[in-house]
Amino acid sequence: MTPSGASRVAGGCVAADRVAMDEKEPIVGIDLGTTFSLVAYVDEAGPHVIRDENGDGRVPSVVAFGAGADGQPQVTVGWEARNHAVENPRATVYSIKRLIGKGPAELRSELPHLTYAVVPGPRDTVRVEVDGRRFSPEEISALVLRTLRTRAERHLGRPLRKAVITVPAYFDDAQRQATRAAGQAAGLEVVRIINEPTAAALAYGIGMRAALDARSPCAAPDSRTGEALLPVAPRASQVGPAAAVSGGQTVAVYDLGGGTFDISILRIENGVFQVLSTAGDTRLGGDDFDRALVGLVQREVQEQFGLAIDAPAARQALRSLAESVKIRLSQAEQAGIELDLGQGRVYQRRIARAEFEGLIGGFIERTLDLCRHALRDAGLAPERIDQVVLVGGSTRIPLVRRSVAALFGRTPYTALNPDEVVALGAAMQASVLRGDRLDMLLLDVTPLSLGIETLGGAVSKLILRNTTIPCRATERFTTFVDGQTAVKFRVVQGERELARDCRTLGEFELRGIPPMPAGLPKVEVEFLIDANGILNVSARELRSGREASIQIVPSHGLTREEVARMERESIAFAREDIAAHRRIDLVNQVEFDTHKTEQMLAKVGHLLEPAERERIAGAIAALRRLVQQTQDLDELHRALSDFGRSTLHLAELGIREALRDGSSDPAAPPPDAAQSPQQHDAQQSPTSGAGDGGAARPPASAADAP
Amino acid sequence: MGHGSQAPRRSPPEKCAACQRPLDSPLFCSSCRRLYPADGLNLFELLGLPATYDVDPEVVRRKYFELARHTHPDRAGGLSGESQWLSLRVAARLNEAYRVLLDPVLRAEYLLELAGGKSAADDRQVPQDVLVDALELREQIEAARAAQAASRLDALRNTVRSRYQRVLDEAAALARGLPGNAGTQAALRGKLNALRYYRKLLEQLEPGVGMA
Repeated sequence: MTPSGASRVAGGCVAADRVAMDEKEPIVGIDLGTTFSLVAYVDEAGPHVIRDENGDGRVPSVVAFGAGADGQPQVTVGWEARNHAVENPRATVYSIKRLIGKGPAELRSELPHLTYAVVPGPRDTVRVEVDGRRFSPEEISALVLRTLRTRAERHLGRPLRKAVITVPAYFDDAQRQATRAAGQAAGLEVVRIINEPTAAALAYGIGMRAALDARSPCAAPDSRTGEALLPVAPRASQVGPAAAVSGGQTVAVYDLGGGTFDISILRIENGVFQVLSTAGDTRLGGDDFDRALVGLVQREVQEQFGLAIDAPAARQALRSLAESVKIRLSQAEQAGIELDLGQGRVYQRRIARAEFEGLIGGFIERTLDLCRHALRDAGLAPERIDQVVLVGGSTRIPLVRRSVAALFGRTPYTALNPDEVVALGAAMQASVLRGDRLDMLLLDVTPLSLGIETLGGAVSKLILRNTTIPCRATERFTTFVDGQTAVKFRVVQGERELARDCRTLGEFELRGIPPMPAGLPKVEVEFLIDANGILNVSARELRSGREASIQIVPSHGLTREEVARMERESIAFAREDIAAHRRIDLVNQVEFDTHKTEQMLAKVGHLLEPAERERIAGAIAALRRLVQQTQDLDELHRALSDFGRSTLHLAELGIREALRDGSSDPAAPPPDAAQSPQQHDAQQSPTSGAGDGGAARPPASAADAP
Repeated sequence: MGHGSQAPRRSPPEKCAACQRPLDSPLFCSSCRRLYPADGLNLFELLGLPATYDVDPEVVRRKYFELARHTHPDRAGGLSGESQWLSLRVAARLNEAYRVLLDPVLRAEYLLELAGGKSAADDRQVPQDVLVDALELREQIEAARAAQAASRLDALRNTVRSRYQRVLDEAAALARGLPGNAGTQAALRGKLNALRYYRKLLEQLEPGVGMA
């Protein structure tokens, strides 16, 4: 806080604080979602989402691998990757959050739904396999994070090294560690992992005050931006009760996203956000609703035409279609589905909202059960909840709103954009960690009980679920054999009685115990869950008094060396000039788009009017000229977006063709035949040809969905 | 859940070692933000409360929040790695204090431990009448469940709850008499063990207990 620094800033009394903010290193808040990811930041004007040129804060959590025109491997992230998913189904990686920190056995039911290949990796992990190259889920997530980081760096005009990243509250230790490793691989120090519903409560805790001042919490407008409601963050100098409502209130945050569900019950009092309980399911979300629709269409096409829609491109197209139908049904009472299956075969039907609700009713009922669990763990009856907050894109579904309202007996509060509220809360926590918000404090809980496996495979619980973090427990171990110098034990997470039904966090081996007669050494092991919800283990031998050296052998996830390697590689990335990086991205994208559009013209161009064919050919040439000539990256970006729009009709034709190609012989094995990852893989390996040189963008409704 | 080894007791320092200003908390200096380890302080001392069974929950909450505001790891952002580690451990102890002091059973357990009484692992004895009662209740619960008799299950739930409350009241009376003599401590141990039995029964009576 130097005088020279202060002189840079106009504005009298706030100058000192602004300088303090300027001089501290920026920390952003990142919502790393199943479907979309966002980055937000708190500055003098308060928390806000960092948006793209079109005003959209969302980056689709989609990574596509391909070859540029020069044959070099090329990675695309975000909208472009998502928009080309249909033509590139086996090399487009999406919903990676449902895979991160998980092993092959746990993912058995998940993998058949994916259009890309997943293979078992070392140490109970999985790898995504694209064109013979293998990527850990952490690496895929790191590519999404790097895109967000670049966006934030452009906005801040300076390098970014630190971030708060959100995870579902119900994420276990392995999933949290994997998320942190992904951040490191993207060149970010993850200063805190926080839970998504808690982040949302943080954002709402501030917004709620404004709404309550207006005395009409339920009538608050469904703001698209989320910014209008959030008042300027009080300065650190104004310490005192600021957030939320005096006297305290209880809030239930119902967070249903693309892939995960969480319910958290909080008490908010004098700026302290105290989580009382949480429950959830890390594989329950909008993806499952899409799959229910996909399954319906697959069944009916099979019945009516004897066709199995199972080629990756066709399934990817169907997935986009199902998503857009789902989104339309949140507004309309019914939606039409039409599929041209070729040879004059057209699958056509209308689906009413009630029928869709029948398909997803079981999932919603499960979320309500989890709400009841969380209420019971908090020791509260539903009517004791003062405010219910909806978070996540899937809470736009009317059935969700009705069901939640019925359970809690009150209209849920939806003032903030459910897609953005988590990122905003993460940014607020970032400002707390920077020391800019001394009036706010977040006290979260661990979602799962922690225990060790005892003789006979039972679990001895050391820390119960919903214990406030940081928390610790100790356990004593001794030896069974004279002179024994090492003891092994296994740490598990979960609520089940038997260790084999819980998640193994790691095999731990205590080494360096002084040789003594059996039973004499006393090794005290401390289990400490930190504020990230991540376990730290330490040990000491009590009789000799010295810290026993403890070697931790995690049975899961990346090794320290693997994370370090990813980090080194990311630092190399970070040194690159940001602008140069963006230019390379854009040039690659132009090459990719024009190339694909040419291929598509060759394939389905005969379905277009000659004038439109010529216009598109002209647009391709013009875009290629521009990329040679211009240095203005914004101009190039605009031209690329215009090009996308002007070729939309062609893209739609391409999708229809892809679906037609994809509906294969009845003799082909149905998709359900895939039970294990290996089988799944084998089934996909014959090249179907569908999508290669086929379609481009899915219908606009999917890409531009709210 | 162990409370760790009994580290040598220390009386809280009166002055901050760094800035020499008087300390109003054993855990931190409000002037220079220096943190002090929580080792050696019992959970009551941590919150600055007398070690008695009867506590005012509102006072516990207020003291806890006040301390958490100053010592939580979220506040240690600009501090050294060592201070961050210290902050983590202080916060864990503080959270333990909050949990134990607000829960009547854990509080009685902890007071018994402070008085030098036996832990549940060392002394599993349960009063004979409780044992008989718990066995009978379990049979009735199983029969009612087999018959899907919801109203009988409701009645049983009320019965178990009132037994639980009665034993808890008896345990509280004994806990107020701590440290007492070996007889008091053994009697309290028995009551606390009995509460575990009734707790288990209550859990069996909860619909759909345990996460999937």
